[in-house]
Amino acid sequence: MPNWGMVIDLETCTGCQACTTACAMENSRLPGENWQDVLFYSEGEYPNLNISWLPRPCMQCENPSCVSVCPTRATYVDEGTGVVLVDWNKCIGCKYCMVACPYGVRFYMDEAPVVEPDVREAFPARGRRTWNPPFRMPDEYEDPSKGIGIQPSGVVSKCTFCHHKISQAPEGVADLDEDNPETREYTPACVRVCAPKARFFGDLDNPESKVNELIAEKGGVRLREETGNKPKVYYLSGGGSPVVPGSRSRRG
Amino acid sequence: MAMMTDTSPASVRGNHFLLHLIAALALLAIGGGYVLWEVFQFGKVQFNTTNAGIHWGLAIVTYDYFLLTSAGLAMVASLWHVFGLEEFRPVARRCLWLAMAGLIGGVAVLFLELGNPWIALWATPLNMQMASPLFWKVLLVGVYTILLAIVLFGMINKPDAGRNPLMMLVGLLALAITLVAGAVYGMMAMRPMWFGGEIPVVFLIESFMGALAFTVFFSHLKNGFSHGNMRPETRSLFEGTLARMFAISIALHFILHAGRAVTGLWSNAEGLQVWEYLVAQPMFHIALWGCVALPFVLMVLPATRSNGLMQVLASLLVMVGLLISRYEFIIGGQMVPLFKGTWAPDLLPYVPSTGEWALLVLAVGLANVVYAFAAWRLGAEDRG
Ligand code: SF4
Ligand code: SF4
Repeated sequence: MPNWGMVIDLETCTGCQACTTACAMENSRLPGENWQDVLFYSEGEYPNLNISWLPRPCMQCENPSCVSVCPTRATYVDEGTGVVLVDWNKCIGCKYCMVACPYGVRFYMDEAPVVEPDVREAFPARGRRTWNPPFRMPDEYEDPSKGIGIQPSGVVSKCTFCHHKISQAPEGVADLDEDNPETREYTPACVRVCAPKARFFGDLDNPESKVNELIAEKGGVRLREETGNKPKVYYLSGGGSPVVPGSRSRRG
Repeated sequence: MAMMTDTSPASVRGNHFLLHLIAALALLAIGGGYVLWEVFQFGKVQFNTTNAGIHWGLAIVTYDYFLLTSAGLAMVASLWHVFGLEEFRPVARRCLWLAMAGLIGGVAVLFLELGNPWIALWATPLNMQMASPLFWKVLLVGVYTILLAIVLFGMINKPDAGRNPLMMLVGLLALAITLVAGAVYGMMAMRPMWFGGEIPVVFLIESFMGALAFTVFFSHLKNGFSHGNMRPETRSLFEGTLARMFAISIALHFILHAGRAVTGLWSNAEGLQVWEYLVAQPMFHIALWGCVALPFVLMVLPATRSNGLMQVLASLLVMVGLLISRYEFIIGGQMVPLFKGTWAPDLLPYVPSTGEWALLVLAVGLANVVYAFAAWRLGAEDRG
């Protein structure tokens, strides 16, 4: 079984948010509730100002605290891909996983709209669906037991590493690369649209994979190592500065 | 409030509790009516906050407040039922009914707050996620509810019902619930304000202190707020052991609360800056000085310790102070945004919605309905 992981090169990323948009379209996200987002950080004051940005998907932790706190096992690690998924049929909406995720990447739909006007009212839906987006994946891809599709109310959702794509990848491939016609269709949406090619996706257990090469050669780092969650998303920062400045240090 | 003694005719007692029941029903109708209107109109949007970071709001504060008070009350009742402390016999029955009342009020709020409460009933026990403190909490609360109901059923309209051996389990479960409820927060290493092995102990002390406050208040309510109306053994409990226990538990709460605030203010660790904000708020000082230090002084000085009205005042202050500090703890632990970027505020703002306040009113109303009905019809107040 592959152990899928991602590498994000912060020196190449331009902060264009194409990944965020692609993810929202692929996974029918509500505006402002982005499974994948690019966060911007500023330190200091003009003219001594440093601005940095950080693309932030779910870290797909090896030791996911969201899984161990979930009282119903609605959040689980998928055996075939190593991806952390949410079974919407079992989620009780207790939001403990949201509290316990150190990276703030889980979403609950039962809230006031983040962006007005509320698109749920503009595109109302029937049944379990909370809305009926004009853009959405084919119905047959939807799988509530994996948290894939249009998020129902009362449950929590998160980035699936585009499980509906990567789970179909040919067996044994080391990387899912949009430049390779054989793997393009199976590459996560955020990786596929990244114009400057700042994102790489591959099997962390395969010594031949590009992701392993980048992590080893360019010194890939993970966020918040102190939590012990062991993210499977690695950042290449050029080693110059911490990937994310703490809010206390930003305040000076 | 009519003066009540145990020798007053049943009809007078009945009127007193009937009035209480009517007032509680009115409260329940106001809180519950508003909540149901909102649920049918908008769903549960108002009870949940935003994905920006405050995931557990006033509803969870209310749930934990009522649940932990219930557990504390079961522990107070265990002093007689389990340990045989005769002194606590006059209040044991009242504590158990209050424990059930608080439990029902709290769980009702949780059911309204959860996204899919009915799924919780089967998905939690069947999936056995033993690593999750919430799994244990749900399991323990479920068994506690059943056993407490059995104990109470056995004493309906039996004024002379003796010690119940089942209370050993109920007391143990109450203790476990309190500790696990603390672990739900204390285990969160990613939330430094909550993290720490002392949190279950903090919860234990708070739930015991809260339970004593409720015991004091409702015992005085039963006796027309006068020690003169109490039976001699009840009076000696309130002027002696119970008042001292109350003072000690308040002191321990003060030490732990102030100690954590001072440590938080001193530390530079990311996430603990929330203490600077909390300590700058008037609410923090109202809770610490007005609702902890003042009742402690009232319960330490011999003149006020044995004065009925002062005890009632101290108990009311403790009830309010506990609600404020639980609110500060639960909300404060979520205020530092995690991975939201520079344009997120340094601390997330949070103001409870009208719907969340209505849930609190609903919980107070429902708990009082249960207690007053039990006192009126089921013999909850046939002693002491
Ligand atoms: S980043 Fe958060 S949601 Fe994703 S696997 Fe880790 S703990 Fe779970
Ligand atoms: S909200 Fe759902 S997925 Fe998250 S911990 Fe609760 S039951 Fe599990």
